[in-house]
Amino acid sequence: MIQKKICMLGGFAVGKTSLVSRFVSSIFSEKYLTTVGVKIDKKSLVVGGQEVTLLLWDVYGQDEFQTVQQSYLRGSSGYLLVVDGTRRATLDTAAKLHKSAGEVVGDVPFVIVLNKADLEAEWQVDERGLWKLADQGARIVRTSAKTGAGVEETFLELTRAMLDGRGQDRS
Amino acid sequence: MGNQVVHPDSGAGGAPDDELQSIRSILIGPAERQLQTLQARMDDRFSHAREVGAVLPQALLNRAGDPELARALRTPVEHAITAAVRENPQPLADAIFPIIGPAIRRAVAASLAAMLESFNRTLEHSVSWRAVRWRVEALRTGRPFGEVVLLHTLLYRVEQVFLIHRQSGLLLQHARAGPARVQDAQMVSAMLTAIRDFVQDSFRVPEQDSLDSLQIGELSVWVEQGPSAILAIVTRGTAPQELRQVMQGAIEAIHLQYGEALDAFQGDAQPFESARPLLEACLQAEYRGTPSPPTRRVWLLAGVILLGLGVWLAFSVREQIRWGRYVDALRSEPGLVVISSGRSGGRYVVAGLRDPLARDPGAILQQTPLSPDDVVGRWDPYQALIPSFVLARAGRALAPPPETTLTFDDGVLRAAGSATASWISEARRTAPLIAGVSAFDDAGLVASTLSAVQRRIEAATLLFARGAPLLVEGQAERVNALAADLRELDALGAAIGRTFRVELRGHTDADGAAMANLPLSRARAERAVEAIGVRPGRHLDIRIGGVGSDEPFALGETEADKQRNRRVSVHVSETSSSQPGAGR
Repeated sequence: MIQKKICMLGGFAVGKTSLVSRFVSSIFSEKYLTTVGVKIDKKSLVVGGQEVTLLLWDVYGQDEFQTVQQSYLRGSSGYLLVVDGTRRATLDTAAKLHKSAGEVVGDVPFVIVLNKADLEAEWQVDERGLWKLADQGARIVRTSAKTGAGVEETFLELTRAMLDGRGQDRS
Repeated sequence: MGNQVVHPDSGAGGAPDDELQSIRSILIGPAERQLQTLQARMDDRFSHAREVGAVLPQALLNRAGDPELARALRTPVEHAITAAVRENPQPLADAIFPIIGPAIRRAVAASLAAMLESFNRTLEHSVSWRAVRWRVEALRTGRPFGEVVLLHTLLYRVEQVFLIHRQSGLLLQHARAGPARVQDAQMVSAMLTAIRDFVQDSFRVPEQDSLDSLQIGELSVWVEQGPSAILAIVTRGTAPQELRQVMQGAIEAIHLQYGEALDAFQGDAQPFESARPLLEACLQAEYRGTPSPPTRRVWLLAGVILLGLGVWLAFSVREQIRWGRYVDALRSEPGLVVISSGRSGGRYVVAGLRDPLARDPGAILQQTPLSPDDVVGRWDPYQALIPSFVLARAGRALAPPPETTLTFDDGVLRAAGSATASWISEARRTAPLIAGVSAFDDAGLVASTLSAVQRRIEAATLLFARGAPLLVEGQAERVNALAADLRELDALGAAIGRTFRVELRGHTDADGAAMANLPLSRARAERAVEAIGVRPGRHLDIRIGGVGSDEPFALGETEADKQRNRRVSVHVSETSSSQPGAGR
């Protein structure tokens, strides 16, 4: 069995915790988010016949990446960059977080999560900015934590990318 | 070309060629043969294998510690074993039989020992009041009773050991003690890492000074970090610091044995499965031991204490018996009433009533083996009504003269013998006041005393000179005695309320005329009254009389007889009236 640490990154109130809640059953309270600044959950998947356990580090919503949160990224095999489709500024925050995360964990797989797909009519995200970010090697997945749409796919996509990355590292 | 070789059949001349051949044979023949031999060995695979086989063991021995050799051999050995087992497992089974049997037995024995220890611990604590409380706790918390027993008898126990990848916080290996309750180890591992990072970053401490312990109630988490992995233990109770050394040894051994695997870790914890024994070595526990069997020293001490107790008990019982006897003696002693007895302030105390005439309790105590210092007597005075005590008390109070005898019977104090009038008077006044005396009977005493006094008075005779009312010389003592007796009679009369008549009767001898003797006899009586000086009183009626020669004392005619007749005699009689009177 393979374990992988992944981090949930994104601006304040983009829906990171809601996405994780859609994906796993937590044993730790959400109060950890506001006290320690991170909440950890676990989800086991089978991807390509390989059993994988994801340790999800739901890092407290931030618009500025701080020292404490950076340390939570160490040893991460990948991360989800969550953007609120209805708030343009969250894309800029995601871009900054991506840059900052890269300094800590290097070139690891990540997936851009365009959340709140159920409010697509209210989207304000700049498509060009989104694709510019995606050009750095990430897939964009539209999700709705409210309906659950795209959530499972997001984690599967990141897991596949991480496992592929592991294969490339070994080759 | 100096080194050109020319073959014999090359068509060159005869003898010189032979010579050349000979020389060549001599010079290069050996080397040529060696080359041919080497060529043959190189071409002969079997020979080559034999030679490699001859040096291979030594070569392997020389490189036995080389990790490269181990890595190189791992796969072929695994394949060889797999193929061998697949083809015929029996040889391998036979080969490992000597070790697999004891290993299984050891494992079974360890499990049984653990089960027995738990069972014993449960049994030891199953029949006490404490056990009842623990059973209630077990019911309340839903925990098995054995677990509650373990928790309460625990000094410390390492419940969980986490081996955590330092950078990612992913769990590499985990071990736990049997009954410990475990949350999801992978999540706990990650959260522990997060907290460690949080503390380290929040307080900006150097990396080598990271969080190394947490305390949560009776649980504590100790963290020992290595370059690539972290060892964390969860301990219940207070663990000794020596456990740190065990952790350090474990993390060092893990880095030594799994250094490459740690560096190459990408999420697969399988290589660390074999590190489990190193973690299990940290699962230490210590319980409050049950009291060990008493040693010889303890038995000796217990014996000495028991002996001491026995001696103390024996002395105590003996003292108690002596004390009981003393109290019994006091109770049986006339004039003593024991009200209470017992111990107070480390001394025996007896309290009661004591007649002053009773024996001294201290004197009784001296007749016992008890120490006077150990006994306190508190006695209040009282007067016993025991006849002997009443009689003795009367004797003390009345102080009777030697001629007086006192007896006591049925509340009546009796006096007999003789006594003075004053004593009788005092006794009559005092005797009724004596405790225990309800009546005083002195009738006998009075009668005998009165009789004695009367006899003495009537025995008295005062002699007179011839023909005159003059006392013969030398009778002063007789006169005084008669006077004293008369006064005593008067006092007796006063004491007993009677009145006595005393007649002093004068006498003459037969000489002379009767007419003259009669007045003479009366004159002699008057003279006697004057001599004795007694005056009539309330209880004494003194009369004077003369009978001449009518009542002679002696009938002879001698002068001695006549002298005995010239006298005054005294006669006493009790009057019917107590009123005094005097007659002449």
